[in-house]
Amino acid sequence: MAEESFLADDFIRQLMSVGEVDLLVGIPSYNNASTIEQTLHSVEESLRQSFVRERAVILNVDGGSGDETRQIVEQSSERRDAGHKGLTSLRTIHRISCMYDRSPSQGLALRSIVAAADLLRARACAVISPATTSLTPSWIANLLRPVYREGLDFVAPLYVRSRFQGLLARELLYPMSRAVFGQRIRELYSDEWGFSGRLASQCLEQDVWREEAVRTRPEAWMAILANGAGLKCGQYFLGPKTVSPSATGPDIVEAIRQTVGNLFWCMETNQGYWMGRSNSQSVSTFGPEHELSADGIPPSQDKMFDLFRSGVNELEPILASILAPDTHAQIKAIALSDRTKFRFASELWVKTLYEFAASYHRAVLNRDHLVQALVPLYRGRVYSFLLEHANSSAEAMEAQSEILCQEFERQKAYLVERWTAKN
Amino acid sequence: MKEVVIQGLTQAYSNLVHMFAEFLPRLLVMLVIVLVGLVVAYLLKMILRTVLHVTRLDRLSEEAGASRFLRMAALPSMTELLSRSLFWVTWCGFILIGISVLGVAGLQEQISRLFLLLPAIFVAILILFIGLVTANFLSRAALLAAVNAGYPSPKLMSWSIRFVIWALAVSMALEQVGVARQTVIAAFSIVFGAFMFGLAIAFGLGGRELAREFLERNLGEKKTEKYEEPQPL
Repeated sequence: MAEESFLADDFIRQLMSVGEVDLLVGIPSYNNASTIEQTLHSVEESLRQSFVRERAVILNVDGGSGDETRQIVEQSSERRDAGHKGLTSLRTIHRISCMYDRSPSQGLALRSIVAAADLLRARACAVISPATTSLTPSWIANLLRPVYREGLDFVAPLYVRSRFQGLLARELLYPMSRAVFGQRIRELYSDEWGFSGRLASQCLEQDVWREEAVRTRPEAWMAILANGAGLKCGQYFLGPKTVSPSATGPDIVEAIRQTVGNLFWCMETNQGYWMGRSNSQSVSTFGPEHELSADGIPPSQDKMFDLFRSGVNELEPILASILAPDTHAQIKAIALSDRTKFRFASELWVKTLYEFAASYHRAVLNRDHLVQALVPLYRGRVYSFLLEHANSSAEAMEAQSEILCQEFERQKAYLVERWTAKN
Repeated sequence: MKEVVIQGLTQAYSNLVHMFAEFLPRLLVMLVIVLVGLVVAYLLKMILRTVLHVTRLDRLSEEAGASRFLRMAALPSMTELLSRSLFWVTWCGFILIGISVLGVAGLQEQISRLFLLLPAIFVAILILFIGLVTANFLSRAALLAAVNAGYPSPKLMSWSIRFVIWALAVSMALEQVGVARQTVIAAFSIVFGAFMFGLAIAFGLGGRELAREFLERNLGEKKTEKYEEPQPL
């Protein structure tokens, strides 16, 4: 078996002692000493309350934490064994802990989780981030239930967002992935999701685990793989999400490198699947499809515009090698416009992104550099969005998001044309 | 007298014939060597071209930015350039072997010196190529990082990195070929030292405020207000 080559002997022994299970909850950790205990508690509560008769295992995979994370997991496991044994659950909830590597990687953590799911023949699995402080037992149940009971193979979360939060997802990742891959999964890039044992086995067979795109953001790749294999995908509304102050997530440059790099890579490796598709389909959605909260104040914008303008100016030769001359000229023109009247139109934004994707495909320059060159343009788009929507209601913003999605779908033929062009 | 002249002429004629008789087979051998060299060089070129196509060197060179420089210099693609270089190096080697077979006095020493120099030239070209690729890659990475972080003068930073790597590569290549070794080392040390000294002065005197701000931000207790962007994910 493929997993024999990378799973540690001790880990395999622990898995063998568990036997077969129905449910598996994976918790990838890295320096999460302050929150891991609460996460374990929530997961266990969820399994006790919602899956009384099912055989379950909680699997902590650690990326070489330098703090007390692993000790806390072990101690918590001992305390749990002493205090709660057989009181509320009809089955024993097993706990396993292992270190998959000495440095953190979401992809390698997921690889250990899917290998364990495959070995234990788990029917439904969920990945939970210990950095999420708003995690409740219902979250875990909501990610597992559609897989275990409704036969879905991939379940993405849906969160409540403030109006000015998650703009990368709303302005780029969701509309572009929806137009390209044809499925309306809003949170393709998240720290929590559910999947089936069948999908885990298919993932394990893929020889992509050393790819940078999968090492950093494996969840979108997993969803796209399920999509391409004809497996059923869905999304579940979980509510508001908050993370621990020590894990505020990557900054904008790193976030774009990880997510947009991953999206372009998925397009590159699945081109046979998406090229012939047009329009998009809804996926099974449990709860409201989206919910923007009216709170949140627009962040400071002036610096954002300065960074956009200087980026367009300083990166001119790089952008010239990526963009079509007409698109580049339009971007240079708006960079010279007055900041109060600035507008980065949706049509130009979509065209720009599709040209970036096509240039990534043709590898006109180092792919990581190409993705980084998108950062100033994204800032320009966000500046334009904030200028336009500083006082808009959540509903107006949602309506605007839908228009943007349709623009992405409308211009898909242009993407295919650029993608297949010889030069 | 007449007999002496005739004897001399006969001797000269016989020497000439002897020389031709000795030279012609050598010439033939030389021509065969050159011809074999042509075939071998051509075969090597085709093999290398195929291997480089399989390993997608052109795409790598495109990504690293080396292809752009080749196009600017009206040179062919990286695969073509390397396979053609191998062809000419191999064939020149065979031609030199062929010439040495002729046994022309004086040429032997020059040829041996050329032979000794060939690998050094090849290594020097390789050093220049690696230097070019590295300089392009690192200077572009620095430019992007500086632009995205909002640092002042990102182009200056990028060009500084490019210049330092170029200077290093050129001096290493010249040293490899053995051209004015001492001068090259001295020149490099002076240029590099002057550049660093200039940077130090520019940063220390010209950018005192910037230096203070930088040190305060990174080492000091006092934290300057950080620019907060909206949470992307």
